Amino acid sequence: MTAASAQPGTRPRRPPRSLIGPLALLIFAAITWWAASEEFGLNFDVPRLLTNLTRGAGILAEFWPPDFSILPRTVDPMLETIQMAVIASLIGCAVALPIAFLASRVTSPNLATYIADRSVLSVVRALPDVLYALIFVAALSIGPLPGILALVLFNIAVVAKLLSETVDGVDQGPIEAARATGANRLLTVRWAVLPQVLPNYVAYSLYAFELNIRASAVLGIVGAGGIGNLINEFRRFFQYDRLTVVVIEIFVLVIIVEWFSIWLRRRLV
Amino acid sequence: MATPTVRPRRPSQRTKHIATGLVVLVVAWAVLTVDVRIERLPDLPAALARIFGRMFLEPSPEWSYFPQAFGAMMESVQIAWLGTIIGAILSLPLAFFGAKNITSRLVSNIIRQLLNAIRAIPEILVAVVVFIPMVGLGAYPGMLAIGVHSIGTLGKLSAEVIEGIDSGPVEAARAAGGRPLQIQRWGVLPQVLPEIVAFWLYRFEINIRASAILGAVGAGGVGEALVQSLVYRRYERAGMLIIVIIVVTILIDTASGWLRRRIIEGGSGGTLDPALEDRAHLSMAMAGTAGGETGGDAAE
Repeated sequence: MTAASAQPGTRPRRPPRSLIGPLALLIFAAITWWAASEEFGLNFDVPRLLTNLTRGAGILAEFWPPDFSILPRTVDPMLETIQMAVIASLIGCAVALPIAFLASRVTSPNLATYIADRSVLSVVRALPDVLYALIFVAALSIGPLPGILALVLFNIAVVAKLLSETVDGVDQGPIEAARATGANRLLTVRWAVLPQVLPNYVAYSLYAFELNIRASAVLGIVGAGGIGNLINEFRRFFQYDRLTVVVIEIFVLVIIVEWFSIWLRRRLV
Repeated sequence: MATPTVRPRRPSQRTKHIATGLVVLVVAWAVLTVDVRIERLPDLPAALARIFGRMFLEPSPEWSYFPQAFGAMMESVQIAWLGTIIGAILSLPLAFFGAKNITSRLVSNIIRQLLNAIRAIPEILVAVVVFIPMVGLGAYPGMLAIGVHSIGTLGKLSAEVIEGIDSGPVEAARAAGGRPLQIQRWGVLPQVLPEIVAFWLYRFEINIRASAILGAVGAGGVGEALVQSLVYRRYERAGMLIIVIIVVTILIDTASGWLRRRIIEGGSGGTLDPALEDRAHLSMAMAGTAGGETGGDAAE
């Protein structure tokens, strides 16, 4: 509204305003009020929050300097975190491949399979990985195995969804060509579809691996193996200077894995 | 596999082989040295059947628990909503500073690295390490952790949208004598807002999942009840909670997905309609290439 300071001669007439914009703003305001209100929501109060934050800032001092003497104790859990992510990516991405083909209109054998696969995927995706870890921990007790299983499910959900959408968009030409040579469904997928989506598959798998590293670092908080166990221990005993060491390690690990994954993507894709 | 005519020589595959070899090595190391008690695996189907049976069949989910379960889930939704708003507000200016065509290369690189660093730390860790010690247990630390973590992805994706704008309106705004802030407001913002708002909605969907588990560390929402019910083996309660989480998450996903498609189609004349989610995922999948290089596939 402020830019109208310089008046040009005659203006074209404004198009009639649509009601959608204001309506959307109204709904946005209503939800925000609901979420922030005292009686229905979180009682969100900016001044109180700011005083809380400034009062709590002193606690952050306890995080520094880091207590690097615990470094040797973190080595094995860190390695376990990496192992969990690697194994889960391997299994998850392998299983996701056929599931993705069954979940795409282009390659699914029939409508029932397509719909069933899609629905299962969206239910699996609706639940967070930590919940799967909780359930597997309840079934198998603590350790890296429930963590790996939780990550496998999570991987399948992510990779199969992304890949099935990519398969939806493949070029139909090679498929027709393969069919014309008399190839059956499996051969068509193998020779006409897979080569088209392979680079995406590799990229998605690497992306899932990056997510796994981050996820497996925290799964231990609920008892599913890896460095998260230590996080839990240190925070329970308010050993914040030790917690800092773990956070730094996770941070470094995530960054290194990201670089590695960029490098790989460039080499393999 | 027969070669009928003379073929050009294959380009060198050395780096590709090295990369493949490395991957195989890492995988072999992980598989051979991991300390899983694999002998437990055969028990899994029976154990899962028992747990799910007690969750959903015998005894059936505790329906009388529905009001509390729903209330807890709503708290998670509220945490996600306010957290997303915090993330959106803080990420927008960062996105402008992180776009190469708006600021200098140096500034945008610094901002991008900052956003990458934020993205690297999972929100549950942000809650445990920063906000629970600062403001205590409850919904507040969860909301703040989600807000801070969201800055990373939202800032990055928004900056990429801004880098893709048409420079025409910007030049027009400059030619009309707009001051720097006015150029951003009238030359850039209208072009990018629909897509950025769509990213916000998308992030909200992700944040609902995140906030549903933050309760596991005491940061409010449905996760707290869920952890309690699973630890104390009150599976009929856990079943009720899981049903509520699934239904609410899918309903909100559907609504938000519909809205995102409307925003993108209505906002930019219908030229941009390929499903946004794909592109969001894709640019996140390619997130690492933030350094500025695009597509290395032609080179190798």
